Amino acid sequence: MTPLNIAVIVKLEPDFSEGNVSYNPDGTLNRAETKNILGPHSALAASAAFYSKVRYGAHISIGTMGPPNADLILQSAQQISDADETFLFSDRIFAGADTLGTAELLKTGILKMQGKMDIVFSGHRASDGETGQVGPQTAWKLGFTFLGNVIDYEVDVEKRTVRAKRSVRLQGFYDIIEEVEAPLPVFIAIDPSYKPVFNTASQRLACEKYKKEANDRAQNFKQYLKVFNAEQLGSDPKLIGLAGSPTIVFKVEKIPKGKAGRQAEVIDGSSKEEMVRVVARLRQALSTMVIK
Amino acid sequence: MTDGDYRHLYVVMEQEEGKLVPVSLEMLCEARRLMDDFNIKYSSNEKVVALLLGDGVKAISKDLIEHGADVVVLADNPELRYVRNTVYTKLIAQIVTDQDVAAKVESVDVGNFKKPRYMFFAADSVGRHISSTVLAELDSGLASDINKLVIEDLPLTHQIKTAGKPLIYEKTLEMYRPDFSGFLWTTILCLDNRNPAIERDYHPQACSIIPGVFETKQADHTRTGKVIEYSPKFDQKDLLVKILDRKIMKSEVDFDACKTIVSFGRGIKESPEENVKLIEQLASELDAEIGISLPLSKKPISINQTIDSKYFIADRVIGSSGRKVSPKLYIAVGISGAIQHLTGMKDSEFVLAINPDENSPIKDECDMFIKGKMEDVLPLLIENLKTQKKVVQA
Repeated sequence: MTPLNIAVIVKLEPDFSEGNVSYNPDGTLNRAETKNILGPHSALAASAAFYSKVRYGAHISIGTMGPPNADLILQSAQQISDADETFLFSDRIFAGADTLGTAELLKTGILKMQGKMDIVFSGHRASDGETGQVGPQTAWKLGFTFLGNVIDYEVDVEKRTVRAKRSVRLQGFYDIIEEVEAPLPVFIAIDPSYKPVFNTASQRLACEKYKKEANDRAQNFKQYLKVFNAEQLGSDPKLIGLAGSPTIVFKVEKIPKGKAGRQAEVIDGSSKEEMVRVVARLRQALSTMVIK
Repeated sequence: MTDGDYRHLYVVMEQEEGKLVPVSLEMLCEARRLMDDFNIKYSSNEKVVALLLGDGVKAISKDLIEHGADVVVLADNPELRYVRNTVYTKLIAQIVTDQDVAAKVESVDVGNFKKPRYMFFAADSVGRHISSTVLAELDSGLASDINKLVIEDLPLTHQIKTAGKPLIYEKTLEMYRPDFSGFLWTTILCLDNRNPAIERDYHPQACSIIPGVFETKQADHTRTGKVIEYSPKFDQKDLLVKILDRKIMKSEVDFDACKTIVSFGRGIKESPEENVKLIEQLASELDAEIGISLPLSKKPISINQTIDSKYFIADRVIGSSGRKVSPKLYIAVGISGAIQHLTGMKDSEFVLAINPDENSPIKDECDMFIKGKMEDVLPLLIENLKTQKKVVQA
């Protein structure tokens, strides 16, 4: 028995990196031309799980809901985390689910994984949907304490508790770093600024060992992969997919250009003379006293 | 479903150490506007109910009423000083489904109250999580990051929701959400399944609202309202989650300390490294802080570890998903001006934009528009700033 049993949920997302991402002339994403990859937030969640493997010893299961070709992101996530098992939940009836329907399915999927979980990790949000709701909703359905925006965490394996630092941002206030302690099991959504650090020589040795193991496993990733459809999962068809989704997208439109807030003076960027005037205007803008 | 089942608009307030987070009043003012229209349109008398949870926060109630709440439900308890997800989620779900509370909200018996009709939360790192878990508990739909709201009776034919039959969904909240590009608006609806095979009520219709998009109106000191004090009962197990420490962090990027902000966007992409250097020079000449547009924080462009980790970070994002700024001088370089970005900088005093495309939306939000590529314009601009400075010093 390993000290910790860990699950990670990940997502297939469009690759937003320059050269891979393709935009339509109107500035919107061209989905057909854009490749799909393991989302960057998902990758961070996988590296957070790997941290536990190195520090405490952990059995790691990774799951995703997606089309059949999403097995490739499970391979990427296994490469990062040295996962012991990977799970693809794939069925046409899952498609089109909103966050509630997705969370229900992921909960069912996590319950199919080996053993009772101590920690479930997810990314902060998906780069395409960007709601950040699936993590906390899955946590709620599992009945786990939800800790979001986690930038650092440590586990006390004896006491069965986790100590996490969270970054809380509120409009109109400075950021707050909150340190929280919670009994296991917990659900952790990893903040984009998370960075695992291995301090001691023995940690670095363990890190090397598991990285090598991760490489070997990822090369034979199909050996570790289990695929489930709706029937095999035993999910309630009324609670998943479109039927289990309260929300629908009613319409998509271009955001109308608002009323021009300002009347711009247009300057020819190649004219040196014009630039003298621009600089004078900037100096003036900076020196004016404004009474508010 | 009768009209008594789902009533009112419940708005979840946010406060920090007894001080309201600005988005709380923004949400209330928008809630007031919507429900005033709603009550006229439907000849009804549904309320705006503010939920205020915290420790020693009672004094804020008056402020909430003066900004549009008809009723404040107050849960004031030392255990509520800081937000703990489970404690808050359970308490909010209890309050909004409590029939006694609902009866006090209206002083008349409207029948079998089940849940709120609508609910609002803030789209910040507290509200995003709380809204998600509360709606998971209430088993209904949630739209996130909304910047426009309309209530309508909508005729709908939907394969899943109505089994392909045309039906009218009354009092439906249209929730408008700008997508990540900032150019598309998606309208999200939360609808009951009226398809007999999968029949299910989905209420409340809920959303999280982007801070800074709705206006806070002046307090109306003549407004009166009701404060309902609610005694929370806690599950001891939930209190095992302990907040050990809280530190207020000043961001390393301090936009408020600078008179000038120079921001750049995806327009740097043709020669990113050289362009970032030019932007650094420009910022240094003007003693400016450097900002970025949201897409760059997703690191679509990689230069090197040092530059990436210094600039392509969430702390530098200006816009509704980042900081709202109002410097004396704002320079937007290679930024087309998605609505999210404009929300974050439109209160600047003087705005200069540098962009090759005269049709970019940024042109309607700037005072001077230099048409040209940054590779060509920035060196000229920097050179002129240097020479004019020399003249001034001489």
